[in-house]
Amino acid sequence: MNDPELKELLESYNHQLQEAKVLNLQSWVLNLQCFESLQKQKAKSKLRSLINFKIVAVILGILWISFLGYLLYYSMDMSKIFFVISAAAIIVCTLIAIIVYLNQIALISKINRGENVLKAQETIAHLKLSTINITRILFLQTPFYCTFWWSTEMIVNEPTAFWFISFPIALLFTFAAAWLYKNISIKNVHKKWFRILFNSPEWNSLVKANNFLQEIEEFKKEKF
Amino acid sequence: MGDEMLNEKLTKRISDHEGIIYKICNTYCYNKGDREDLAQEIIYELLKSYHSFNESYKFSTWMYRVALNVAISFYRKSKTNEVISFNETHADCADKNDDSPELEKNLCTLQQFISELKELDKALMLLYLESKSYKEIGEIIGITETNVATKISRIKNNLKQKFSQIN
Repeated sequence: MNDPELKELLESYNHQLQEAKVLNLQSWVLNLQCFESLQKQKAKSKLRSLINFKIVAVILGILWISFLGYLLYYSMDMSKIFFVISAAAIIVCTLIAIIVYLNQIALISKINRGENVLKAQETIAHLKLSTINITRILFLQTPFYCTFWWSTEMIVNEPTAFWFISFPIALLFTFAAAWLYKNISIKNVHKKWFRILFNSPEWNSLVKANNFLQEIEEFKKEKF
Repeated sequence: MGDEMLNEKLTKRISDHEGIIYKICNTYCYNKGDREDLAQEIIYELLKSYHSFNESYKFSTWMYRVALNVAISFYRKSKTNEVISFNETHADCADKNDDSPELEKNLCTLQQFISELKELDKALMLLYLESKSYKEIGEIIGITETNVATKISRIKNNLKQKFSQIN
């Protein structure tokens, strides 16, 4: 096929694409301009669903912090020192995650679709990937779920159970949390352990976002 | 300018460029339901983002940016990015009455080729079909003019190769 033939074919295809009308556009524009319709459409938008997911996470986080804070308030006693330290650590980790989520919600609201395609798509992909930081922080709190029920009496009265069961379990969780904090990163999304651990729609979308970012980087390069 | 006048102006502007929406929907979605959903999302985003439109730029450039951004996100999220098979394409084509079967066959091959392109290459091809200058394509996509030229040339060569393999 020579150049003029290709040009003619592309023009025909362009004409065909434009002619295949999707819907009565003008009536839709008028319809969507009504506030009510806008709200309904807003609820359906894909980014809105991402915001909704994060809002639910923030609400659950606040409820969890409130509950732990309430318990903490009534446990301020040296005899409950392990509980106090564990609950405080969990509160701090959850609080950091909530702040990151709130920051993400603000960023999503600011996404400008009128920016050039690569810039806007990069922002969206980076936003999705920032979820990874929240997960790392949340994993850091896991050892404290093994220590909140410890007490000095327990160590004194049942040393065998403590030093041979409770303590090694907490130690194991501490190493696991530290390892996960270090290794949960974008560079490991393709590893088998990562895929087994995070086989959920949100994580699959992270993998896709990461692949797309690489695609964008590749696209920016000028190859002759 | 009052809200009503602004809405009227925007409605007219979108209607004047409705072809952009049809083209993008037909390029990124292969089933009717998805195309309608995408068209509605694009219109919604245009209405929502209109306040950020800078009048010193061309409306069509801004509209392409918004529509392509929505389409790419929609395409990636909805997972309807299945590539239409040759059989499916040809079955669709067989349903149509056309006086020029050769042209019809070539159009089907072209449709298949474009469906196999990655979403960013699709956007590039779409703008090229519209006869946009490399400068404007670069502004919409966010790459240099040289890069646009290189990529389009590569896509066209691949397309020619595909046709030469078939014929």
